[in-house]
Amino acid sequence: MLSYIIRRTLMAIPLLLGITVVSFAIMKFAPGDPTSLMMDPTISQADKAKFMERYGLNDPVYIQYFKWLGAMLQGDFGTSLIRKGVPVMEMIMNRMPNTILLMVVSTMLAVVISIPFGVISATKAYSKLDYSVTITSFLGVATPNFFLGLILIMVFAVQLNWFPTGGVSTLNEPFSIWDRIHHLFLPAFVLAAADMAGLTRYTRSSMMEVIKQDYIRTARAKGFKEQKVIYKHGLRNGLIPVITIFGLMIPSFIGGAVIVEKIFTWPGIGLLFVDSAFQRDYPVIMGLTVISAVFVVIGNLVADILYAIFDPRIEY
Amino acid sequence: MTALLELKNLKTYFKRKKIEIPAVDGVDLVINKGETVALVGESGSGKSITSLSIMRLIPSPPGRIVDGQINFNGQDLAKLTEDELCKIRGNDISMIFQEPMTSLNPVLTVGEQITEVLTYHQGMSKTMAKKKAIEMLELVGFSRAKEIVDDYPHRLSGGMRQRVMIAMAMSCNPKLLIADEPTTALDVTIQAQILDLMKDLSKKFETSILIITHDLGVVSEIADRVVVMYAGQVVEEALVEDLFENPLHPYTEGLMGSVPSIEEDLDRLKSIEGNVPAPENLPAGCRFAPRCPHKFDRCTAEMPQLLKINETRAARCFLYDSKEVPQ
Repeated sequence: MLSYIIRRTLMAIPLLLGITVVSFAIMKFAPGDPTSLMMDPTISQADKAKFMERYGLNDPVYIQYFKWLGAMLQGDFGTSLIRKGVPVMEMIMNRMPNTILLMVVSTMLAVVISIPFGVISATKAYSKLDYSVTITSFLGVATPNFFLGLILIMVFAVQLNWFPTGGVSTLNEPFSIWDRIHHLFLPAFVLAAADMAGLTRYTRSSMMEVIKQDYIRTARAKGFKEQKVIYKHGLRNGLIPVITIFGLMIPSFIGGAVIVEKIFTWPGIGLLFVDSAFQRDYPVIMGLTVISAVFVVIGNLVADILYAIFDPRIEY
Repeated sequence: MTALLELKNLKTYFKRKKIEIPAVDGVDLVINKGETVALVGESGSGKSITSLSIMRLIPSPPGRIVDGQINFNGQDLAKLTEDELCKIRGNDISMIFQEPMTSLNPVLTVGEQITEVLTYHQGMSKTMAKKKAIEMLELVGFSRAKEIVDDYPHRLSGGMRQRVMIAMAMSCNPKLLIADEPTTALDVTIQAQILDLMKDLSKKFETSILIITHDLGVVSEIADRVVVMYAGQVVEEALVEDLFENPLHPYTEGLMGSVPSIEEDLDRLKSIEGNVPAPENLPAGCRFAPRCPHKFDRCTAEMPQLLKINETRAARCFLYDSKEVPQ
């Protein structure tokens, strides 16, 4: 098992290098350059050249890339072009806990809600309950999260005033868990919604396949109660394909976080990403791209390891 | 001999497109203590549904036990609640299936699958149950039982998996073992091993066996008594020697005739003409009449009853009705 994990981790390295090349290239080809944003438009050509020289913007592209890569490997993502002198790493790390909190809570929300609903939907297939779960799931899949977010803000924050419209905590109030949960609820729910719907559907179809299997009949013939048959003998088999899907959903979680954080002004890396993109703050954008890529790769790695744990037929 | 299991007029129907289809249509069957009974018939004759009805494992809907009694050890299983049945299944009556490759749970070790029965029905501790599981695996012929117990099913061959299924089924020392075509998916040498094993264990544990098969070789190997089914009904009942010596029902005769003999030189295998009638479209009168070489007028007009011929024999055929025997 350990050697499998190590092998899988090593395989992720070339992938991450590829991602750095691509993201660097995209940034370079994007229109607009930092000088036009950072400097007074009336600046003289000589000063502009000096600025370009100082930030290494005149070097050949591959030199710029290797310089950036080398520094990054030492944890140095450079400094922000907009907020002069602030290290990118520091900016990201300040925001990171908020994003991790949001993602962990919404992932848990998605798993805790969708898997039981998927199982119930499968065991009571074609019942009224199943149909209502199915319809709700399709609504969830079909509603873009920015739209769902705005609707929820309008109804629950503006009109009913149950939840705040955004932010992580109430201003000028000491930190409290309750206050944090209060702020977290809507964004976490919106971020979870689309994946929750997908996971429910996958769990349902996977479980429907599983409960037709011979070993389920064997479990029943052993005299186990239906509950034990489904959850002990069925679910472990039924979750195997769901884990794969879950791994594939991690990127959409990160993509979703960008939108959800913007809507709920949740100060995480997603919001930082949007703001930096508008300001063409290259070092920050690239730092964030690499960090999110690392997240996605780690997520898939975790999914692969879970897969190996759940399915003993996988030899590693 | 005392009866352990007695089916009386068992009727199991399946609902398909709003029509009730009689898959098992009034089956009477007795299994005595320590006896091995073979239930024989072609595919679709209702033998597997009979066995699943005894376990009350008919998928419902669409299946349903419409009528009849399943008297087991003083209780009518047809009337028990699901909770009461759970105490009997796997404990007093256990079952092994045709497909050893898929009947074990792929994500649980062999040991877990045996021990869970013991902890559940016998209230054993985990360590006790594991000891017993290793014992059972040795009993079914694994020499490396201590290693097998921690293996996953995908590492075992079909024959080994069927032996695991037997170990699992026998672990609570059941009074009745139902084996639904236990050797059909196995090759011939392994078939013989499995049958021998079942015979040994049934003697050792005084377990009655109901074996479901379409293979007359298996019947002669293991059974004391044979019950032949056709289109959801019992058509003949006999001790195994009597049946092979002198089959009474034309269907049984046909079955026997279709087994090639090693002494004869045949160009073509014999077979029974026609097919088993679809249960939603049964002929009036005797259900075998359309395929029967001996049929006469009465056969298509009237349904024959299961006629008792002597203490151990019965046949559902007008040929043995003393009132009217044709030329």
